[in-house]
Amino acid sequence: MLSAPQLWQPFHEFVFMRRALLGGLVLACSTAPLGVFLILRRMSLIGDAVAHGILPGAALGFWFAGLSLPALTFGGLGAGLSMAGLAAWITRRTGLREDASLAAIYPISLASGVLILGIAGKRLDLLHLLFGSALAVDGPTLTGMLWVSGFSMIAMALIYKPLLLDTLDPLFLQTVSRLGPVAHGVFLTLVVLNLVIGFQAIGALMVVGLMMLPAAASRFWSHRLPVLIAIASMLGCLSVWLGLLLSFFYSLPSGPAIVLVAGGFYLLSVVFGPVHGLLRRPILPISQ
Amino acid sequence: MIRCQALRWGAPGQPLTPPVNFELSTGSLTAVIGANGSGKSSLLKVIAGLQKPLTGKIFLDVSRKGSLSFLPQQQHLDRQFPISLQELVAAGFWGSKQSPDLRNQRLKTALEDWCLSGLAHRPLMALSGGELQRALLARMSLAQAPLLLLDEPHAALDELGQALLWKHIHAWHAKGRTLVVVCHDLAAVRQHIPHTLLIKSSGSVLGPSTELIRQQPLTQVA
Repeated sequence: MLSAPQLWQPFHEFVFMRRALLGGLVLACSTAPLGVFLILRRMSLIGDAVAHGILPGAALGFWFAGLSLPALTFGGLGAGLSMAGLAAWITRRTGLREDASLAAIYPISLASGVLILGIAGKRLDLLHLLFGSALAVDGPTLTGMLWVSGFSMIAMALIYKPLLLDTLDPLFLQTVSRLGPVAHGVFLTLVVLNLVIGFQAIGALMVVGLMMLPAAASRFWSHRLPVLIAIASMLGCLSVWLGLLLSFFYSLPSGPAIVLVAGGFYLLSVVFGPVHGLLRRPILPISQ
Repeated sequence: MIRCQALRWGAPGQPLTPPVNFELSTGSLTAVIGANGSGKSSLLKVIAGLQKPLTGKIFLDVSRKGSLSFLPQQQHLDRQFPISLQELVAAGFWGSKQSPDLRNQRLKTALEDWCLSGLAHRPLMALSGGELQRALLARMSLAQAPLLLLDEPHAALDELGQALLWKHIHAWHAKGRTLVVVCHDLAAVRQHIPHTLLIKSSGSVLGPSTELIRQQPLTQVA
């Protein structure tokens, strides 16, 4: 077991640990509301699809510019957005369900990414791209993460109300406002943006874990949306902190350590959560 | 005012009726009746602008955004959604510029009007179908739109709830709002709604409810 000073000491002592912690914490806060809304919109698996889909863009960025943060970010962003956009367009034009449409596009995207990396001569480690390394967060990456997370939280606050109504009762929102599609579009863009900025730090696939696990866990703790988002952010932050400590003291890869801690919180919530947890009877909270 | 000219609606290539013309004047209260699948609900969606007509035109004297309230059949709501009844009802204030004090007052009154005061903080999951329906009606009453489209508003309501519904429909009508109500309870239509639009695959007929419903044997239209 870790002693109390050990909970802070690595972050006090090492700059790279401080950077990884700060980056992870802001990322946890900005992905929490996205994860909660993805679940409410029944789009839980879309994060996964998009995370695979950004690979060819990041690979192309790497091919042309090497291991540069802007190139990887813009490449990933371009690939993620065009993939989500293409899937949405096919859905609108043909009536194919959105999940089926994304599920069809992302293997194409992933395969092209792997192919490009192959042609590029395997100089970039695919594992690094998919699973990342929180301990490699340098100054510019951290600055990028702070900007993106800050922007994403502000944007979420701005579209919160229309997004909520568009999720609960799109027909109603359509009769009172034109903001529904705007909120949907901004929301998807934020999902892609967070996945792209996160893949630098903890890897494309691991960000999805940080986005979805705390959000899924929070559902077992409350019936109120703002509380759900707060709980998800808190669980995400705790996972980042504990995961980094585990990774530091036991020499584990940081991304998987963070996600597995979040997974632990999820399983605990499933069992002990007061809202429909396994150990509680289904409650009808007449007095809240 | 709702004016339809040579209107056809339904799935692409499968119009539900021949081209239809009718006009519902401002402040009118009209029932829409017809057999299952005759296109009553789709007609409301077409009027609300949520579905495009196949051919023809619809003219409204109000803008569709904000001046029109549409109550669809309620099955579309996700009952696990983590908000309370009060938050659902308060969505009726969308776009309103009233002060927070006035809103609180109106919200309280609306909840009382629809016998929902004791349920204000319940999550959607813990509401019965009738309670949810009254919540959606309360949201509609907060929105104060001049044009109200209601699709089977009495479904899921018990006797008390239905009495409450008809009371409010008459009150809205008295305030000069235009109402279109899809309803399959023909006795209630005869009793409460002055005009009826009957939709059949051969066309539609608009007339006084007492005449139209007396002409039709109940089994044919119910």
